[in-house]
Amino acid sequence: MAILAGQIAFYYLATASVASAILAVTRRNPAHSMLWVLALFLHVAGIFLLLGAEFLAAVQVIVYAGAILVFYLFVLMLLDLPREAAGPSFGAHWPLCAAAGLAFAALVWHAREPGLVLTAKGTAAGGPPRGSLSAVGTALFTQFALPFELASLILLAAIVGAVVVAKRKTES
Amino acid sequence: MVPVGACLGLSAVLFGIGLIGFLSRRNIILMLVSVEIMLNAVNVSLAGFSHQLQDQRGQVLALFVIAVAAAEAAVGLGLVLALSRNRPGVNVEDLTQLKW
Repeated sequence: MAILAGQIAFYYLATASVASAILAVTRRNPAHSMLWVLALFLHVAGIFLLLGAEFLAAVQVIVYAGAILVFYLFVLMLLDLPREAAGPSFGAHWPLCAAAGLAFAALVWHAREPGLVLTAKGTAAGGPPRGSLSAVGTALFTQFALPFELASLILLAAIVGAVVVAKRKTES
Repeated sequence: MVPVGACLGLSAVLFGIGLIGFLSRRNIILMLVSVEIMLNAVNVSLAGFSHQLQDQRGQVLALFVIAVAAAEAAVGLGLVLALSRNRPGVNVEDLTQLKW
Protein backbone atom coordinates (compact mmCIF):
# COMPACT_ATOMS: atom_id res chain seq x y z
CA MET A 1 0.00 0.00 0.00
CA ALA A 2 2.78 2.36 0.94
CA ILE A 3 4.68 1.30 -2.15
CA LEU A 4 1.65 1.99 -4.32
CA ALA A 5 1.13 5.37 -2.70
CA GLY A 6 4.80 6.18 -3.26
CA GLN A 7 4.55 5.26 -6.92
CA ILE A 8 1.37 7.29 -7.39
CA ALA A 9 3.08 10.23 -5.73
CA PHE A 10 6.13 9.81 -7.94
CA TYR A 11 4.14 9.71 -11.14
CA TYR A 12 2.06 12.72 -10.08
CA LEU A 13 5.22 14.68 -9.26
CA ALA A 14 6.91 13.60 -12.48
CA THR A 15 3.91 14.58 -14.63
CA ALA A 16 3.50 17.89 -12.85
CA SER A 17 7.18 18.76 -13.15
CA VAL A 18 7.28 17.93 -16.86
CA ALA A 19 4.11 19.98 -17.44
CA SER A 20 5.42 22.97 -15.50
CA ALA A 21 8.77 22.75 -17.31
CA ILE A 22 6.98 22.83 -20.68
CA LEU A 23 4.86 25.76 -19.55
CA ALA A 24 7.93 27.57 -18.19
CA VAL A 25 9.73 27.24 -21.51
CA THR A 26 6.77 28.22 -23.68
CA ARG A 27 5.09 31.10 -21.79
CA ARG A 28 5.36 34.48 -23.44
CA ASN A 29 5.51 36.54 -20.26
CA PRO A 30 8.86 36.00 -18.46
CA ALA A 31 7.29 36.49 -15.02
CA HIS A 32 4.81 33.68 -15.73
CA SER A 33 7.73 31.51 -16.83
CA MET A 34 9.46 32.19 -13.53
CA LEU A 35 6.40 31.14 -11.57
CA TRP A 36 6.15 27.90 -13.56
CA VAL A 37 9.83 27.27 -12.85
CA LEU A 38 8.99 27.75 -9.18
CA ALA A 39 6.33 25.05 -9.51
CA LEU A 40 8.88 22.83 -11.23
CA PHE A 41 11.43 23.30 -8.44
CA LEU A 42 8.89 22.52 -5.71
CA HIS A 43 7.77 19.35 -7.50
CA VAL A 44 11.38 18.26 -7.96
CA ALA A 45 11.87 18.85 -4.22
CA GLY A 46 8.95 16.48 -3.67
CA ILE A 47 10.68 13.89 -5.85
CA PHE A 48 13.84 14.28 -3.74
CA LEU A 49 11.78 13.66 -0.60
CA LEU A 50 10.33 10.55 -2.19
CA LEU A 51 13.84 9.35 -3.01
CA GLY A 52 14.92 9.68 0.61
CA ALA A 53 17.05 12.77 0.06
CA GLU A 54 15.56 15.05 2.70
CA PHE A 55 18.51 17.42 2.92
CA LEU A 56 18.61 17.78 -0.84
CA ALA A 57 14.90 18.60 -0.85
CA ALA A 58 15.42 21.27 1.81
CA VAL A 59 18.35 22.76 -0.09
CA GLN A 60 16.31 22.67 -3.29
CA VAL A 61 13.52 24.68 -1.67
CA ILE A 62 15.79 27.10 0.21
CA VAL A 63 18.49 27.71 -2.37
CA TYR A 64 16.77 27.08 -5.70
CA ALA A 65 13.21 28.20 -5.06
CA GLY A 66 14.11 30.66 -2.34
CA ALA A 67 17.34 32.32 -3.44
CA ILE A 68 18.14 31.67 -7.09
CA LEU A 69 14.61 32.12 -8.43
CA VAL A 70 14.04 35.28 -6.39
CA PHE A 71 17.32 36.58 -7.78
CA TYR A 72 16.10 35.93 -11.31
CA LEU A 73 12.81 37.67 -10.50
CA PHE A 74 14.69 40.68 -9.06
CA VAL A 75 16.70 41.05 -12.25
CA LEU A 76 13.55 40.62 -14.32
CA MET A 77 11.82 43.39 -12.38
CA LEU A 78 14.94 45.56 -12.50
CA LEU A 79 15.18 45.36 -16.27
CA ASP A 80 11.49 46.17 -16.72
CA LEU A 81 10.75 44.77 -20.14
CA PRO A 82 7.54 46.25 -21.49
CA ARG A 83 8.23 45.42 -25.12
CA GLU A 84 9.26 41.89 -24.40
CA ALA A 85 5.74 40.46 -24.23
CA ALA A 86 4.83 41.95 -27.61
CA GLY A 87 7.39 40.36 -29.89
CA PRO A 88 7.71 36.69 -30.73
CA SER A 89 9.28 34.84 -27.82
CA PHE A 90 10.94 32.16 -29.93
CA GLY A 91 13.61 32.61 -32.55
CA ALA A 92 12.83 31.72 -36.14
CA HIS A 93 14.96 28.60 -35.76
CA TRP A 94 12.79 27.06 -33.07
CA PRO A 95 11.75 23.90 -35.01
CA LEU A 96 15.42 23.00 -35.31
CA CYS A 97 15.88 23.58 -31.57
CA ALA A 98 12.84 21.49 -30.74
CA ALA A 99 14.14 18.69 -32.94
CA ALA A 100 17.53 18.83 -31.21
CA GLY A 101 16.02 18.77 -27.73
CA LEU A 102 13.57 15.98 -28.55
CA ALA A 103 16.32 13.94 -30.19
CA PHE A 104 18.50 14.30 -27.11
CA ALA A 105 15.68 13.35 -24.77
CA ALA A 106 14.79 10.34 -26.97
CA LEU A 107 18.43 9.20 -27.00
CA VAL A 108 18.74 9.34 -23.22
CA TRP A 109 15.30 7.77 -22.86
CA HIS A 110 16.42 4.79 -24.94
CA ALA A 111 19.76 4.54 -23.18
CA ARG A 112 18.11 3.99 -19.82
CA GLU A 113 16.74 0.61 -18.76
CA PRO A 114 13.25 0.88 -17.28
CA GLY A 115 13.66 -1.93 -14.78
CA LEU A 116 17.24 -1.13 -13.93
CA VAL A 117 18.06 -2.72 -10.59
CA LEU A 118 21.62 -2.41 -9.46
CA THR A 119 23.08 -4.24 -6.53
CA ALA A 120 22.45 -2.22 -3.40
CA LYS A 121 25.56 -1.98 -1.33
CA GLY A 122 25.37 -1.02 2.30
CA THR A 123 21.84 -2.19 2.93
CA ALA A 124 22.89 -5.62 4.10
CA ALA A 125 26.25 -4.54 5.47
CA GLY A 126 25.08 -4.77 9.06
CA GLY A 127 24.79 -2.06 11.61
CA PRO A 128 21.80 0.15 12.16
CA PRO A 129 20.60 2.07 9.09
CA ARG A 130 21.76 5.64 9.30
CA GLY A 131 19.64 8.63 8.59
CA SER A 132 20.19 10.19 5.22
CA LEU A 133 21.17 13.56 6.65
CA SER A 134 23.91 12.30 8.94
CA ALA A 135 25.33 10.15 6.16
CA VAL A 136 25.32 13.12 3.77
CA GLY A 137 27.01 15.29 6.38
CA THR A 138 29.64 12.68 7.12
CA ALA A 139 30.42 12.22 3.43
CA LEU A 140 30.48 15.98 2.87
CA PHE A 141 32.95 16.69 5.65
CA THR A 142 35.23 13.67 5.31
CA GLN A 143 35.45 12.29 1.81
CA PHE A 144 34.34 15.48 0.05
CA ALA A 145 36.04 17.99 2.34
CA LEU A 146 38.34 19.36 -0.38
CA PRO A 147 35.57 19.75 -3.00
CA PHE A 148 33.46 21.38 -0.29
CA GLU A 149 36.13 24.01 0.33
CA LEU A 150 36.58 24.45 -3.42
CA ALA A 151 32.83 25.07 -3.73
CA SER A 152 33.13 27.90 -1.21
CA LEU A 153 35.99 29.32 -3.29
CA ILE A 154 33.87 29.08 -6.45
CA LEU A 155 31.00 30.87 -4.72
CA LEU A 156 33.34 33.61 -3.49
CA ALA A 157 34.77 34.06 -6.98
CA ALA A 158 31.23 34.19 -8.39
CA ILE A 159 30.17 36.85 -5.87
CA VAL A 160 33.19 39.01 -6.59
CA GLY A 161 32.85 38.45 -10.32
CA ALA A 162 29.17 39.36 -10.32
CA VAL A 163 29.87 42.58 -8.41
CA VAL A 164 32.74 43.53 -10.73
CA VAL A 165 30.76 42.77 -13.89
CA ALA A 166 27.53 44.46 -12.82
CA LYS A 167 29.12 47.49 -11.18
CA ARG A 168 28.35 50.82 -12.74
CA LYS A 169 31.47 52.50 -14.07
CA THR A 170 32.04 55.62 -11.97
CA GLU A 171 35.03 57.28 -13.60
CA SER A 172 33.16 58.56 -16.64
CA MET B 1 10.03 1.90 -4.31
CA VAL B 2 10.73 4.28 -7.16
CA PRO B 3 12.63 2.50 -9.94
CA VAL B 4 15.75 4.32 -11.02
CA GLY B 5 14.67 3.93 -14.64
CA ALA B 6 11.70 6.19 -14.02
CA CYS B 7 13.99 8.79 -12.48
CA LEU B 8 16.29 8.62 -15.49
CA GLY B 9 13.34 8.97 -17.86
CA LEU B 10 12.08 12.02 -16.00
CA SER B 11 15.60 13.43 -16.00
CA ALA B 12 15.91 12.90 -19.76
CA VAL B 13 12.58 14.60 -20.46
CA LEU B 14 13.35 17.57 -18.21
CA PHE B 15 16.81 17.95 -19.74
CA GLY B 16 15.32 17.89 -23.23
CA ILE B 17 12.78 20.56 -22.30
CA GLY B 18 15.54 22.72 -20.83
CA LEU B 19 17.63 22.21 -23.96
CA ILE B 20 14.74 23.26 -26.20
CA GLY B 21 14.20 26.33 -24.05
CA PHE B 22 17.86 27.28 -24.07
CA LEU B 23 18.20 26.95 -27.82
CA SER B 24 14.95 28.52 -28.90
CA ARG B 25 14.05 31.33 -26.49
CA ARG B 26 15.10 34.84 -27.43
CA ASN B 27 15.02 36.28 -23.92
CA ILE B 28 18.46 35.85 -22.34
CA ILE B 29 17.02 35.55 -18.82
CA LEU B 30 14.81 32.68 -19.90
CA MET B 31 17.82 31.04 -21.52
CA LEU B 32 19.57 31.13 -18.14
CA VAL B 33 16.45 29.72 -16.47
CA SER B 34 16.47 26.89 -19.00
CA VAL B 35 20.03 26.10 -17.91
CA GLU B 36 18.69 25.86 -14.35
CA ILE B 37 16.04 23.40 -15.56
CA MET B 38 18.76 21.27 -17.14
CA LEU B 39 20.85 21.31 -13.94
CA ASN B 40 17.76 20.26 -11.98
CA ALA B 41 17.25 17.36 -14.37
CA VAL B 42 20.79 16.19 -13.65
CA ASN B 43 20.07 16.44 -9.91
CA VAL B 44 17.03 14.20 -10.32
CA SER B 45 19.12 11.47 -11.92
CA LEU B 46 21.82 11.83 -9.23
CA ALA B 47 19.23 11.51 -6.46
CA GLY B 48 17.71 8.50 -8.22
CA PHE B 49 21.05 6.71 -8.39
CA SER B 50 21.75 7.65 -4.78
CA HIS B 51 18.43 6.11 -3.76
CA GLN B 52 19.02 3.01 -5.83
CA LEU B 53 22.55 2.33 -4.61
CA GLN B 54 21.84 3.39 -1.00
CA ASP B 55 24.90 5.60 -1.31
CA GLN B 56 24.72 9.18 -0.09
CA ARG B 57 27.56 10.40 -2.29
CA GLY B 58 25.09 11.07 -5.09
CA GLN B 59 23.33 13.58 -2.88
CA VAL B 60 26.65 15.25 -2.11
CA LEU B 61 27.31 15.61 -5.84
CA ALA B 62 23.85 17.08 -6.28
CA LEU B 63 24.67 19.63 -3.58
CA PHE B 64 27.78 20.64 -5.52
CA VAL B 65 25.65 20.98 -8.65
CA ILE B 66 23.34 23.34 -6.73
CA ALA B 67 26.34 25.39 -5.57
CA VAL B 68 27.62 25.68 -9.13
CA ALA B 69 24.12 26.63 -10.30
CA ALA B 70 24.05 29.44 -7.74
CA ALA B 71 27.43 30.70 -8.95
CA GLU B 72 26.28 30.48 -12.57
CA ALA B 73 23.12 32.45 -11.76
CA ALA B 74 25.12 35.20 -10.02
CA VAL B 75 27.63 35.63 -12.84
CA GLY B 76 25.08 35.20 -15.62
CA LEU B 77 22.66 37.74 -14.21
CA GLY B 78 25.54 40.14 -13.53
CA LEU B 79 26.43 39.85 -17.22
CA VAL B 80 22.78 40.44 -18.16
CA LEU B 81 22.72 43.61 -16.04
CA ALA B 82 25.95 44.89 -17.56
CA LEU B 83 24.59 44.10 -21.03
CA SER B 84 21.29 45.85 -20.45
CA ARG B 85 23.12 48.91 -19.16
CA ASN B 86 24.97 49.22 -22.44
CA ARG B 87 21.94 48.55 -24.58
CA PRO B 88 18.38 48.02 -23.37
CA GLY B 89 16.51 44.82 -24.04
CA VAL B 90 17.32 41.20 -23.43
CA ASN B 91 16.76 39.84 -26.93
CA VAL B 92 19.77 37.74 -27.90
CA GLU B 93 19.07 38.19 -31.60
CA ASP B 94 19.86 41.88 -31.24
CA LEU B 95 23.29 41.13 -29.85
CA THR B 96 25.19 40.70 -33.07
CA GLN B 97 28.24 42.80 -32.37
CA LEU B 98 31.30 41.88 -30.35
CA LYS B 99 31.87 45.46 -29.26
CA TRP B 100 29.85 48.66 -29.25
